[in-house]
Amino acid sequence: MLAKQPQSRALHWLGKQLFNRNDPAAFFDPLLERINPMWIRAYTPARVEQIIQETADTRTLVLKPSRRWSGFRAGQHVTICVDVNGVRRHRTFSLSSSPMFWQQQGRVTLTIKRLPGGRVTNWIHEELDTGSVIGLGEAFGDFLVPEPAQPVLFIAGGSGITPVLSQLETMAGTDYRAPVTLLYFVRTADDVIARKKLQALSARYSALSLHIITTHEGESPRYLCDADLDSIPGLKSRQVYLCGPRGLMDLARDLVNQRGVDDTAIHSTYFSAPQADLGDEALGGQVRFAGSDAEASSQGDATLLDIAEATGLSPRHGCRMGICHQCSCRKTSGTVINRLTGQASGPGEENIQICISVPRGPVSLDL
Amino acid sequence: MKQMTETQLSQLEQDLNAIRDEVIADLGERDAQNIRRMIRLHRLLEAGGRVMMPFGFIPPVFVAATATLGIAKILENMEIGHNVMHGQYDWMNDPALHSQTYEWDTACTGDSWRRTHNYEHHTYTNIIGKDRDYGYAVLRLSDDEPWKPWHSLQFINYILLSVFFQWGVGLHELETEKLQRREIRLREKLPFLKEFARKGGRQAFKDYVFFPLVTFPVAPIVLAGNIGANLIRNLWSSTVIFCGHFTEDAETFSEEECKGESKGHWYLRQLTGSSNFTGGRWLHVLSGHLSYQVEHHVFPDLPAHRYPEISGKVQAVCEKHGIHYNTGSFAKQYGTVLKRILRHSLPERLAGSAIRA
Repeated sequence: MLAKQPQSRALHWLGKQLFNRNDPAAFFDPLLERINPMWIRAYTPARVEQIIQETADTRTLVLKPSRRWSGFRAGQHVTICVDVNGVRRHRTFSLSSSPMFWQQQGRVTLTIKRLPGGRVTNWIHEELDTGSVIGLGEAFGDFLVPEPAQPVLFIAGGSGITPVLSQLETMAGTDYRAPVTLLYFVRTADDVIARKKLQALSARYSALSLHIITTHEGESPRYLCDADLDSIPGLKSRQVYLCGPRGLMDLARDLVNQRGVDDTAIHSTYFSAPQADLGDEALGGQVRFAGSDAEASSQGDATLLDIAEATGLSPRHGCRMGICHQCSCRKTSGTVINRLTGQASGPGEENIQICISVPRGPVSLDL
Repeated sequence: MKQMTETQLSQLEQDLNAIRDEVIADLGERDAQNIRRMIRLHRLLEAGGRVMMPFGFIPPVFVAATATLGIAKILENMEIGHNVMHGQYDWMNDPALHSQTYEWDTACTGDSWRRTHNYEHHTYTNIIGKDRDYGYAVLRLSDDEPWKPWHSLQFINYILLSVFFQWGVGLHELETEKLQRREIRLREKLPFLKEFARKGGRQAFKDYVFFPLVTFPVAPIVLAGNIGANLIRNLWSSTVIFCGHFTEDAETFSEEECKGESKGHWYLRQLTGSSNFTGGRWLHVLSGHLSYQVEHHVFPDLPAHRYPEISGKVQAVCEKHGIHYNTGSFAKQYGTVLKRILRHSLPERLAGSAIRA
């Protein structure tokens, strides 16, 4: 989320002397933010200009990023940051608009589905208003349109259509000369995201063959099956792009492999489902110390500090009882239990005090 | 030290943990707004003070500028820096407010402060021989320490320490008394001294070189004003800090009685080794809520603006367990601090008779 600024080194040095920070430009953010949030330096701001309700549980945010945002390629995603109830939270979403829209109009869109129990997606649907400013990271990801043009098959499910929308717009806009087929799976007709846009694309882009399949409208569920692939000419020579719920992607990969499409021609981008409640799973697990390239497995209620020391590392620590925070470091993934309170952490990236944290399942630390 | 059974201590632990858990569950937007408001105020005061300073050739402007900059430094050190570095706002996940990387506007480095204050002082609070904050190695404040003739002039040490407090705190980790006793060698302290030189140099450059030079014609005025602002901060912060553990009723402890201490015992020691003072809302803010030293020592990583809110509950727990809750007016508490410094300037038997006289 760092806004990369090419600054004169002398100015940067002076800023450090005067403001005691590595990002001296952000010293006045607290004041600038009150005047115009788009003047924030600590991250790249983007203003929410419009909110479009796509379906009952999906909405599109039309954003105007600060001009210093570096742009993106069709199919990539961004990490946004928002303050939810005082806490800064980061989430990653695919850009659903095309790079040409950014170049010509200076706008991008994110199409976000509300997840049951999802802290941020629910906040976005309930609290985020037009006019608000959120943080927009640099785009990343290698779910990209083939260059030069090759035949493509998209298999998308639900909100997995979002990066595909960006890619289809781009292909249509650049007159992409190769057949493109989209198999788009949704539960019911009401769940189709961007139906009008897809139909308009289908109308003006002759290479596109659009198939929208509802899985839960008939008497029994109708999922992706082998027969769906029959109608796709030249499947073996296509690049296959998968994006959607895990089940659909695994099924699609298997079917397409069986038809002779090699794994190197299959591109996926995963949207993870909300973390399952681990409930009363046993304590202990595989701990990975990413910074030291070490791993250890533990059982029972050994703390991460003890585990690290048993592995031969010597992490910085202090009181060893959860008071002084000297041992605080970054957990990049996994769940830990706080030995003092019995509370479980979230499953993602956060700071923890390793002297009072016990792993529950696999954990990865920046140590 | 008050004697409590293991069961009683365990109950004390539960009672205090319950207060903490309640606050932790409630942390959110209100706390974030509070710290952000303080930071905005700090930015305004620092910018305002520095902008006014070159016009300090007009006496009232000089006073206003120096006071404004002094208050800015007080706010940044006490209400913002000290509290952020305790991890009180780590839950906000804002990299600018992260306890392990925050760097504050004073000669002491954040890392050194984290080691000596967050870890040593808060773990070994008021344990003679382990809590080096007790007297800062330049003051004799209890009869546990043997009297030496130079102690009779320790009031001079007190004045010097207060006037140059930011440098005293910055060099605190040097452990000069251990160097003198040859328990450690200077070579071991070189990495620390390097860090100190870099930070201290940076602060001196900022306040005593850069800002005066940038306003060249009025450089002496800006220099004087910046010295004044640092002095204001030094005097105020040393006074508040001394009121935290050196008042009359604040207890000291021996290493033996704290060996293998349970959490309940740790809580008891924090309660009886700390002291509060009362005052208006802005007195509390300017003290970084160290006016609630008892609450701070029992819950160092709860956002400090919460201490007034839980103070009633903490007092109730103390009453329940028959523990003395040390508080009083600012003037009264400070008076007992001065008395303690003077009293321990003299050896025990002389001090006793001097007081009786």
